[in-house]
Amino acid sequence: MIPASAGVGLRFAHHRTVLDERPAAAWFEVHAENYMGGGKPLAYLEAIRRDYPIALHGVALSLGSAEGLDARHLRRLAELAGRIDASLVSEHLAWTASDGTHFPDLLPLPLTEESLALVCRNVEHAQQVLGRQLLLENPSSYLRYRHSTIPEWEFMAAVAARTGCGILCDVNNIYVSACNHGFDALAYLRALPAQAIAEFHLAGHRVRKFEDGRSIRIDDHGSRVAPEVWALYAEALALFGPRPTLIEWDTDVPTLAVLLEEAAHADACAA
Amino acid sequence: MPMPALLEVQRAFAGALLREYDRGVWPDIAEDAFSAPERLRIYRNTCRSTLVQTLRMTYPAVERLVEREFFEHIAGKFVERHPAGSGYLNEYGAEFPAFLAGLEAAGELPYLADVGRFEWALSVAANAVDAPVLKPGALLAVETQHHAALRFEPHPSVSCLELAYPADEIADAVLAGDEAAMAQVDLAPDSVCIVVHRGPNGLETERLCARTYEFVARLCAGEPLAGVIEAAPEQAPMLLAQQLAKGRLSAFTIDA
Repeated sequence: MIPASAGVGLRFAHHRTVLDERPAAAWFEVHAENYMGGGKPLAYLEAIRRDYPIALHGVALSLGSAEGLDARHLRRLAELAGRIDASLVSEHLAWTASDGTHFPDLLPLPLTEESLALVCRNVEHAQQVLGRQLLLENPSSYLRYRHSTIPEWEFMAAVAARTGCGILCDVNNIYVSACNHGFDALAYLRALPAQAIAEFHLAGHRVRKFEDGRSIRIDDHGSRVAPEVWALYAEALALFGPRPTLIEWDTDVPTLAVLLEEAAHADACAA
Repeated sequence: MPMPALLEVQRAFAGALLREYDRGVWPDIAEDAFSAPERLRIYRNTCRSTLVQTLRMTYPAVERLVEREFFEHIAGKFVERHPAGSGYLNEYGAEFPAFLAGLEAAGELPYLADVGRFEWALSVAANAVDAPVLKPGALLAVETQHHAALRFEPHPSVSCLELAYPADEIADAVLAGDEAAMAQVDLAPDSVCIVVHRGPNGLETERLCARTYEFVARLCAGEPLAGVIEAAPEQAPMLLAQQLAKGRLSAFTIDA
């Protein structure tokens, strides 16, 4: 069981530190794809699992793929979730595969009735194979489709309502996409169903500025959480109450102490 | 304009990621301060840099040998020709050594592809799924008349490499930054046989003589024991015992 407090994303660089120092982290989340083999990474994870709850966060299941799910990948995810007795399993509202090619990024979906039906089918299939509830995360995005007809917040709420999946509300992603596409981040939060919110994500992002004055926000998970995202997180807490909250940091990963500082800040916001 | 089907949109989007000149998905993308190709470039760059970084992590000695900038260049070329086939990226990059072998620009380093093969074997060994290790005692129950028909299944971490250059020595020297050790490596082409696997104490690499290598390679290829023994008839019991002790075998079957 994951407590409604802040955990941190566990990265390879911190395996040894966690085992040696047993830091006062409430829980850890790992990228599922990093542990789908065997050997040392999995041995570390199993050792850490003895003392901490673990959430699994997938990045390559391609829940938005029109071709359906990769049975092999889904089986690997299910095996790993069972092996480490994962407390939560989450994936993204995105697609990552087409015609046998895998793209290592969270690619955006046209938000249409066709996509909604397809994502619901894929989520239901995944939940059936996993034998448990899946959490669906809102991604950061850098483009929209002309033919999208459903706002992302309505799409997320509809998938949760139709499939019973939970919502992993990535506050940083809402902020990044709101800036990139010009929608109201707070209105997005207010449109989400409180009872479906099962986890929050917080992370840093960067602003890429162009010489002609244009800029775009890139969700690179490479810095501390931005002040504007902390402010939005406070709004989320006011709307939904405390939930398990993860500090994600994937590029230029700092010491574990820095991640724990960010987690302590998140806990202070929720106190 | 009719609404395009999701399958077609995804195929067109994939085309634009794989081929910058492919404009099929452009009309589907909303444009404002940024054009469709600019927005697509963000995704294309992330995909490319993730795969290049995956190769960098798998092939650190190759990167040291050719230096960072050239590695970035050749890895980028490889990524263009070899997109990922799975979301489990530890499986990505198996073809990179063969790509290096065909690279004219790497001609000054004839051993580069062998170093790549060695590093791929290390990656396979590190990431292979956990599997049972066959205990020597398991064979005691096999009746003598069935010994010739035994076939062994190697541990999934095992790779048998027959190389032309001492890739293990080169990789060790270059990763340690030990120029003296590198200068002492005999770079004349020869036959170098190496077995890589993950044992109970971690990754192990072992140089083998030609006869022993043939025995181990045929054993790990699942040939019947009767044929494997022909590679080294007098040493066969000892060699089989060694493979079992090292944890290189996972299971056996007996031909009917």
